[in-house]
Amino acid sequence: MDISFKRDRNTLVVLIEGEIDHHTSKDARDRIDSKFIMEPVKNIIIDLSKVSFMDSSGIGLITGRLKKASSIGGTLAIKKPSKEVLRILKMSKIDSMIELDA
Amino acid sequence: MQPINKVKVEFLSKSSNEAFARVVAASFVAQADPSIEVLADIRTAVSEAVTNSIIHGYDEKEGIITMACTLYPELVEITIEDSGKGIEDIEKAKEPLYTSKPELERSGMGFTVMETFMDTLIIESSPGTGTRIVMTKQLGNG
Ligand SMILES: Nc1ncnc2c1ncn2[C@@H]1O[C@H](COP(=O)(O)OP(=O)(O)O)[C@@H](O)[C@H]1O
Ligand SMILES: [Mg+2]
Repeated sequence: MDISFKRDRNTLVVLIEGEIDHHTSKDARDRIDSKFIMEPVKNIIIDLSKVSFMDSSGIGLITGRLKKASSIGGTLAIKKPSKEVLRILKMSKIDSMIELDA
Repeated sequence: MQPINKVKVEFLSKSSNEAFARVVAASFVAQADPSIEVLADIRTAVSEAVTNSIIHGYDEKEGIITMACTLYPELVEITIEDSGKGIEDIEKAKEPLYTSKPELERSGMGFTVMETFMDTLIIESSPGTGTRIVMTKQLGNG
């Protein structure tokens, strides 16, 4: 898995490439959280357009980052999930809490 | 029903083997020429079951996971088994959003995903003995 970051004003844009499972989500969580603390941002956008596989570990990863952003009054949005990724996201009902195509 | 083919693999409960198990199951099933959607469903369900053995069964300590895939004319049966701590209340474990490890950012959706993505799901488990998951998926006429 590869993660890269961009900053757009007060929003951290996270591009995840590859597979999100329990193995890779630990590293993703640590990297996103440290970047979120370092940068002067309060919102997070996670771009999932390059994610080729995601299981329910991805729900935990996204919900956890939503909590981080909310705790400082920010928002979290998801960008361009594939059909398969969207199916997992919808199952968890987090689609009612976040914007699914920012 | 007479099986067409069968594989059985044993691996350590390391998280890097989650991807390994998905690839093995998907490449085995690929010989039946299923749709891309069916393969994606199988990959996801296998990932959930193997991850559960690693995180919950063995509490992220070392143990052995066995995966067996059996191909029949119209379906595949996948068994994933650990000798870990087992599940006390299977009905509760199956509830959407229930997780015993919220501190690890688990979503509690693993069993719901397995149930939704596969056609049948059987959970056999007893505390102290381990857990066996048996799932089947119809392969369509490919
Ligand atoms: N192989 C297993 N061994 C022991 N407990 C398990 C196993 N698989 C699942 N469980 C229990 O069932 C619960 C629900 O599993 P699941 O739906 O995959 O959610 P999650 O993995 O996110 O907790 C787990 O939190 C755990 O308590
Ligand atoms: Mg799980």
